Amino acid sequence: MIPFSPEVFFALFEEYNLAIWPAQFAAYALGLLVLILAVRPSRVSSGVIGAILAALWMWNGVAYHWFFFAPINFSAPVFAGFFILQALLLLWKFVIQRDAMIGFRRDAPGITGLTLMIVALAGYPLLANVADHGGLQSAVFGVAPTPTVIFTLGVLLLARPRAPLVLMIVPLLWSVIGGLAVWLVGIPEDVVLPVAGVLAVNLVLWQRRGQA
Amino acid sequence: MNRKDWTDQGPTRRAVLGGMAATGALTVAGLLPPGPRTAVAAPSLMRAIPSTGQKIPAIGMGTWITFNVGPSRKLREARLKVLQTFFDMGGGMIDSSPMYGTSEDVVGYCLSRIENDQTLFSATKVWTVSEAMGKRQMKTSAELWGLKTFDLMQIHNLLDWETHLRTLKSWKERGRIRHIGITTSHGRRHDDLLDVMRSQPVDFVQFTYNILDREAENRLLPTAADRGLAVIINRPFRRGDLFSKFDRHPLPQWAGEIGCTNWASFLLKFVISHPAVTCAIPATSRVDHMRENMATLKGPLPDAAMRRRMVGYVESL
Ligand SMILES: NC(=O)c1ccc[n+]([C@@H]2O[C@H](COP(=O)([O-])OP(=O)(O)OC[C@H]3O[C@@H](n4cnc5c(N)ncnc54)[C@H](OP(=O)(O)O)[C@@H]3O)[C@@H](O)[C@H]2O)c1
Repeated sequence: MIPFSPEVFFALFEEYNLAIWPAQFAAYALGLLVLILAVRPSRVSSGVIGAILAALWMWNGVAYHWFFFAPINFSAPVFAGFFILQALLLLWKFVIQRDAMIGFRRDAPGITGLTLMIVALAGYPLLANVADHGGLQSAVFGVAPTPTVIFTLGVLLLARPRAPLVLMIVPLLWSVIGGLAVWLVGIPEDVVLPVAGVLAVNLVLWQRRGQA
Repeated sequence: MNRKDWTDQGPTRRAVLGGMAATGALTVAGLLPPGPRTAVAAPSLMRAIPSTGQKIPAIGMGTWITFNVGPSRKLREARLKVLQTFFDMGGGMIDSSPMYGTSEDVVGYCLSRIENDQTLFSATKVWTVSEAMGKRQMKTSAELWGLKTFDLMQIHNLLDWETHLRTLKSWKERGRIRHIGITTSHGRRHDDLLDVMRSQPVDFVQFTYNILDREAENRLLPTAADRGLAVIINRPFRRGDLFSKFDRHPLPQWAGEIGCTNWASFLLKFVISHPAVTCAIPATSRVDHMRENMATLKGPLPDAAMRRRMVGYVESL
């Protein structure tokens, strides 16, 4: 039950993008930093990546869901809660517990993970442009949920010895919700989201089976 | 009810104006050529609320999705035109809810810019749990609409209805609301709704009824008639699905006998011609659709035989 029309959704996106400008640039800079750190890992890089992802999820929970979308969508406060929870989980796993390292390796999860990260930063906006949702209506990486979730799934595929399953739950839930948006709100480019979700969950399970 | 002029003593300015509008509708109906035998000439498309006798137009409007436009000024101005058309064509009931995002805020925005809203019959809902949250929510609704009192406060989808009913009874006694209602749109809640209708002092009941979803004919509509309850019909177009289903088909040739020139009036006339229905509340975001919907208030209504024919036709498509 979506309480708003596509017209209203995209109008609000325009308002949101204008209101947070130029936060989009900062988000992209952070995204590129994560990409570089993932390819050239160091002793501290996993903690930095975890902290950056946590900040982006927190932003999405508070600014996007709570402040901008809650007024038109009664489900948005619940989404905000889940996004904030994911931010805390990312901090806990990568900054406090530090029991997983993030680093690219030339195996199936590694290549898929890196591809998903690049898709989130570059492929998804291109698709959105083709679907006529470019410019001010764009869901920009880091400040809008869908590309942020695709990117996070990519990063989690680079986690060694394996991706913490608890960090997969919220991104996968959002993959389902985003998948529904393809039809319910008419956002064809969001089809990337359920595809990323299915790929990520299968690769992580395959990876865990291999290590068992 | 309006920000300025409602008191609980004697007839209100709105009630008087409502009566005048009723006379207008009668005149229009009288000017139309006499209908064929299967269509009864519409006596008036104003309907009386059984518990108070106040008359309201048989077509109101809903605000789910259509008025939830957020802060966009451009979209608010577009909805202002829709609401202006509603009042220009004699509109009465506006139905909303705190569940509908910014709809109440947008209704308030529009009402504060419309001059001829004297026929407004304000209807919103309480949709939360607990007495304190319910009271707070209803106060917020009044602020958003820019009203001191509501003509109708409904308990949305029966949520925590026992708690809210206590509050609403006391608010009604104190003149803060004029009528009490309860709503659902789910078939599975019909038994609960019937219990409330049979045992509680509500003035209005709201549920779904349209030419394809006619379950309400079995128990809800007869019970409402028996108990003297006003009936509001939601989803008269099944959220717009009926247009996707029927739009590619022509109207039957005999649709002209009941003054229908488009599917909207065909579908709405079916709904409001049920004798137990007080009004239908189609929602729209478009001025041309609002015109079509409000035009249903004019011309003859189908009688029982014609209603069966209408059902037969759509089921054959
Ligand atoms: N439990 C409850 O209390 C409850 C539940 C459901 C609904 N309701 C109330 O009932 C109202 C009506 O129900 P609803 O909004 O769900 O559905 P509805 O009124 O059956 O259908 C609304 C849809 O019909 C389209 N439409 C309206 N007039 C049209 C016309 N003349 N020609 C073509 N299309 C037209 C609208 O699109 P356009 O915008 O393009 O015109 C909109 O998509 C709600 O808005 C709400 O206020 C209450």
